[in-house]
Amino acid sequence: MNCSRKEIAANVGFSTIIDPKFKTASLTLRFITKLDSRTAAPNSLGVGTLSASNSRLTTLARLNERLSSLYGAALSTFTRKRGDVQILGLTASWITRRYAFDGENVDSEMLAIIRDCLFAPNVKDGEFDAESFAITKKDLLDRIDSELNNKRGYALSRAAEIAFRGEPAEFSCYGTKEAAAAVTSAEAYEAYKELIRTSRIEIFYIAPEENPEAEEMLRSCISELDRQPQDCVFRSKSPVREKVEEVSDKFDVLQCKMVMNFKSDSDDMAAMKLLSTIFGETPVSKLFMNVREKLSLCYYCACRTVASKGALMVDIGVEHANIDKARDEILRQLDEIRNGNITDEELQSAMMSLDNALTQIGDTPSSYSGWYFERLCDGKMVTPMEQLELYKNVTKERIIEAAGTLTLDSVYLMLSKEADK
Amino acid sequence: MEKNILTSPVTGDSCIHVKHKSGLDIYICEMPGFSSVEALFGTKYGSVNTMFRMRDDKDYTTVPEGIAHFLEHKLFENEDCDVFELYAKTGACGNAFTSFDKTCYLFSCSKNYQESLKILLDFVQKPYFTKESVDKEQGIIGQEIKMTNDNPEWRVFFNMLRCMYHNHPVKIDIAGTVESIAEIDADLLYKCYYTFYNLNNMVLSVAGNITADEVLAICDECLKPCEDKGLESVFPDEPETIVQSEIYEKQEVGTPIFHIGYKCRPASGEERLRKSMAASVASSLLTDASSEMFRRLLIEGTINSSFGSEVFVGDGFFSVIFSGESADPEKVRDSLCEEVDRIVREGISEKDFQRIRKSAYGLMVRDLNNVESVANLMINSHMEGVSPYDAVNVLSEMKCSDVYEFIRSELCRDRLVLSVIEGTDK
Repeated sequence: MNCSRKEIAANVGFSTIIDPKFKTASLTLRFITKLDSRTAAPNSLGVGTLSASNSRLTTLARLNERLSSLYGAALSTFTRKRGDVQILGLTASWITRRYAFDGENVDSEMLAIIRDCLFAPNVKDGEFDAESFAITKKDLLDRIDSELNNKRGYALSRAAEIAFRGEPAEFSCYGTKEAAAAVTSAEAYEAYKELIRTSRIEIFYIAPEENPEAEEMLRSCISELDRQPQDCVFRSKSPVREKVEEVSDKFDVLQCKMVMNFKSDSDDMAAMKLLSTIFGETPVSKLFMNVREKLSLCYYCACRTVASKGALMVDIGVEHANIDKARDEILRQLDEIRNGNITDEELQSAMMSLDNALTQIGDTPSSYSGWYFERLCDGKMVTPMEQLELYKNVTKERIIEAAGTLTLDSVYLMLSKEADK
Repeated sequence: MEKNILTSPVTGDSCIHVKHKSGLDIYICEMPGFSSVEALFGTKYGSVNTMFRMRDDKDYTTVPEGIAHFLEHKLFENEDCDVFELYAKTGACGNAFTSFDKTCYLFSCSKNYQESLKILLDFVQKPYFTKESVDKEQGIIGQEIKMTNDNPEWRVFFNMLRCMYHNHPVKIDIAGTVESIAEIDADLLYKCYYTFYNLNNMVLSVAGNITADEVLAICDECLKPCEDKGLESVFPDEPETIVQSEIYEKQEVGTPIFHIGYKCRPASGEERLRKSMAASVASSLLTDASSEMFRRLLIEGTINSSFGSEVFVGDGFFSVIFSGESADPEKVRDSLCEEVDRIVREGISEKDFQRIRKSAYGLMVRDLNNVESVANLMINSHMEGVSPYDAVNVLSEMKCSDVYEFIRSELCRDRLVLSVIEGTDK
């Protein structure tokens, strides 16, 4: 594997990862900008419309027809949130020429489609093509509505909204339904032009062999832009409330959900990750072994770190009658860690689990891209193996200290209407 | 033991198949350059196997719904420890799943795969069930059932199956119900275990950063020879007709979701593979974004880009399902029927067929790019009675007329079910 990154324009990184084991090539371009309730929806629609057509393939039908004739090449856009930052982008992957029936140059064809989607979108009179924009807008409005269809995901989103109230991270990366509904095609195109001019851009090209065409194409297109990039803050710790805030909603559901948000002012990220792994990230974690296996209170009870906000979230699906019992046990297990009740086996198995996960990075193009992008956001360009060394240096004392910095900030409850009857 | 090397003439990929002396079928794919290992140890035992007997049994045994899934949960407990504690020592990430027609135990790892493979082979061959541990599991699985019942995607799918199948157990929930799992005890679990967890009914699939010789040496050490006791699973007679054509349920959803399913005639072995591939190309043609129907529905706002299709196949069941989000699912159904009628009347364009076939080939090549996908491909193919690379070969031989014939003979309006989950406010 050969990995390199260069700046091809102001605040535009181009990373190339060459790994001969892959049968596919992929290119992902990310726009990184501050998450703002006023721009979230137009940004999302601006980038989203790029994968509905371009100036050469002027309808979704024509674009998709071309992609399927290129051996089912995939091309899509995405919007997500990372702390106070909105990350939007376009990603494409395709099988390489070696596997094409008659040696078709799939790589060149795909790079041309990507170029057109990004730099020659389907625009007329300063706005996106009406049909492409309408399809994208309908998709976004439905996506916002359908968040409720996934109850666990919805509970986590609501919990983040409560925990980070007053900070950019409280907002959905898609914006509100009302804001999205009000965006016009011209506004979405303006938002895209602003993004491509001001956002930080990170590009990853991952393929089995070098292809200078990818870098040349992007360098040439970006050089024509009037770039005035603005900096983003990737990590801003969320302040802890003086009193724990509890919010509940009632729904027609059979199972209740609880999300507990803890916050910390610690900068010891490695210790926090080990703490989270021991606490609730594996099937031998304290939460799994006690809340699920010993007390049979749930099917899932897990935790995750939100490093960009200095937070840790625990979530559980639980019977209404057992909510208090589950909450007490979760807090008790955290106290166990605070009190130093971490066995050598627990520490060892957490380390093994992290080692396993880190060593597997590189077995898929997306894991490569995800890992190095996250490191760019962290501002520390370390390899998975260098990260593993950082974890190995974490002592039990550092984990206990990190646990001591965690304070319960807020609790979100999705309650069952049935429980009232 | 003979090592049979299976090679795809189209992509050049290969794997090894061994019929082990213990009775187990083993598939191994060495993947140079990859760091991870994926291993699956599975039995042809899923939620549909509710009635069975062995060669020497006089009568058939009928078991409670959800018992295959319950057994999967309980096998993770040894006499002296929890299996996850063993995996924790090797760093492997262990898991398991039960589907309609199989139960698989798996791990993925990047180091110590030999030790993890020994753990996998050992615990699956060593059942240990007690009244206490069975009672404890009722609470955990009860919560899993409630969680899945709150999942509208799950509900819309099972509602559709219940409308489609009169008798076939594919219509029952994989995890059963809170009531049915209450009937499960340790004796029943042992009965099912010794019936279905016979190595002659099982398969091991290992892919990634491994060597075949090492895997086979571990199998020699850990596998206990099994006598083939002539397992026979039976399914009730299932008519070709459906039970009812529509079902609606209200749930807490933000957007209404639908499943439109065509009940098709089941098939087995290579015929099933050919039919599945034809069904897959047919459904891609119908939902293809370049089709006139798709374009019209999308522009009108009747569907969004979540609209898609899948082929759902197993022992005694076969259906083609179209799913998505829509405020007007009846219109989607009617448009689909009209499009099927149009294709039957006008035929399929050879150009569109070649394009969709090329796209399907590209997706198969992508799957061979991934350790987990390769391990799953090997185990799934074996359980379906075909070889891992047969699908690529079938696709390369497929003709436009095969797809046309599938659409004409199987996508019949009188075997169509519409299942909808709509919001509670509707």
